[in-house]
Amino acid sequence: MKPRDVFSYSFSAIRLRKLRAGLTTLGVVIGIAAIVALLSISQGLQATITEQLQKGFATDTLIVSTGGGFGLGAEGAMGTAGSGFKLFVNDTQTINEIENVTMSIAIIQKAGYVQFGGKNRTVTIVGVDFAEYASIYSSTFVAESGDIPPYPGNMTVVVGKRVSDPWKNETLFCNVNDDVEIKWTNATARPPKNETYTGHVSAVLQEIGGFGVVGPSDSAVYIPISKAESFFGTDECDMIIVKLENDDKATIDSTSKAIRNAFDKQVQVMSATAVLNILSSVFSIIELFLGGIAAISLLVAGIGIMNIMIVSLMERTREIGILKALGMKSRTVLMVFLGESAIIGLMGAAIGIGSGWVLANVVAIVFRGGGVFMGGNQAAAGAGAGGMTITPVLTPTVFLGALLFGVGVSVIFALYPAWRASKLKPVEALRYE
Amino acid sequence: MMRVTISVVETINLRKTYLLGKVPVNALQGVNFKVDKGDFLAVLGPSGSGKSTLLNMIGALDKPTDGKVFIEGVDVSTLNDNQLADLRRRIGFVFQFFNLIPRFTAKENVELSMSIADMSRVERRKQAENLLETVGLKARMNHKPAELSGGEQQRVAIARALANNPRFLLMDEPTGNIDSKTANEILGLIKRLNEEKGVTIIMVTHDQRLATQAKRAVQMFDGVITMEIVN
Repeated sequence: MKPRDVFSYSFSAIRLRKLRAGLTTLGVVIGIAAIVALLSISQGLQATITEQLQKGFATDTLIVSTGGGFGLGAEGAMGTAGSGFKLFVNDTQTINEIENVTMSIAIIQKAGYVQFGGKNRTVTIVGVDFAEYASIYSSTFVAESGDIPPYPGNMTVVVGKRVSDPWKNETLFCNVNDDVEIKWTNATARPPKNETYTGHVSAVLQEIGGFGVVGPSDSAVYIPISKAESFFGTDECDMIIVKLENDDKATIDSTSKAIRNAFDKQVQVMSATAVLNILSSVFSIIELFLGGIAAISLLVAGIGIMNIMIVSLMERTREIGILKALGMKSRTVLMVFLGESAIIGLMGAAIGIGSGWVLANVVAIVFRGGGVFMGGNQAAAGAGAGGMTITPVLTPTVFLGALLFGVGVSVIFALYPAWRASKLKPVEALRYE
Repeated sequence: MMRVTISVVETINLRKTYLLGKVPVNALQGVNFKVDKGDFLAVLGPSGSGKSTLLNMIGALDKPTDGKVFIEGVDVSTLNDNQLADLRRRIGFVFQFFNLIPRFTAKENVELSMSIADMSRVERRKQAENLLETVGLKARMNHKPAELSGGEQQRVAIARALANNPRFLLMDEPTGNIDSKTANEILGLIKRLNEEKGVTIIMVTHDQRLATQAKRAVQMFDGVITMEIVN
């Protein structure tokens, strides 16, 4: 029998029992839709997060800290747990002498407040050399209004977008040329002591949108490094950002090692790419986990197919007898049955991919709406993620994979019933009532 | 000089024992007969005489316990599954209960046996129409079995059996499920196929009246042939 004839025979059998075939297909649709929706959302999320991180990242930089991982960017004050080793502002001189290093800058940062018009906002106070910082983060440490002076006066303050416009609705907390109170509580002093000075906002940064893990953040205020040293009363820094000549893996590895050795292995050197790699492996695990859950629903669909094929086999025993009496080979009987389930699988997968994609987009829209809602009404949200935009991604791999998986599961679960059908003895099948 | 003709069907000491539950039943106990080309043989016998079992053997649907079945000189017992399937394509089965595929129209049912034999779409469409015309059913070829009378369904079944130019037609009570008037028409059709088109026919029946229409008849009883009648 020609493949095309086998196919149309299988199809005629499906068409005969539309409702049953429809329900069986629905099982596949749900399974595939779940897989596609979960994968395209998580891949979209991964793309969004990676992109946002990369905004704050420069791939040719290393971050030298005393330990505590990359959480340092936000609340750097407790980095010195463990060895008690400290990094100082003038350690940049040691690092600058290492091969492949073009520049290094020290960062001192503490959690503090900005007070203006009788209101307080929690911020990260970051002390940096403005000119060098701007040269490393040339795409993010950029003023939206006002100017970032390369040689700032002591009272100069640059604020992040969310400090100026925390509610995202043009109701400004402070703006360029405002004089704001910078506050910090020195908790190591006994008794704890509040430090305050009045700074002059010279620039508001353009919106970065990242999470502020490393690099400029929307919810930080920037003050000159010299002012930070005197204000915080220390020249101990939280991290040193090192700019390399290039972002080759070999350069990153050898320089990281050289820096660690220069400080007797007391420091931790993290590359931006390493952070991204860690994140992407975390995402792979999440994706696998979600995909696995969705795959279970497809397994259930597969069992449904097997069940329905066995029922169909019983009902059509006599038909199989007729086909064999007319000279149909066992192999062809097998193909007829597998063809039926392959058609169900293919239809289910195709519809499933479509509806999964729709589902992913609906979820993305709901997320986006929720984000705006949070940003608009909860001031607290201003400091964090805010409204996050997820654009679901349907890669060709996911598309083809889902299609193959849907058809594959259907065919595999039909193997046993199809095999039984093909093994029926013509005499017995014809006698079957 | 001797001319050797190969019989269409020949059985030699054919035996078949099968288990009915746990009881062995000797359905065939040494059957010998020959059918030559152009013959019309009726196999007569009451139910339980073993005629259906014999039909299954000749139709290559089942294998004998002992003895041989030769179809055009080929020993059926030496064939594997695929070869048996190929052989069955050249045997035209006509069943008592028609055994048409309910979801297919008359024409599609006739086409089915040709599509199993790998015939092309265009060819089998033409052939199906010709065959349905032969059995006098061209006008109703687009009807499904449920829309056809018993006689009409059996005509479709005969057309289907003829589709692959079979070596012989194998009929199991072809008129057993049809009223007597229609049965006469069907019988007329069968005779016409035999006389005008030279189709070899083996027909199993318990109806003595039908047997008189055949060229030859054999009487079966308890798994053996007890009598042969030549009309």
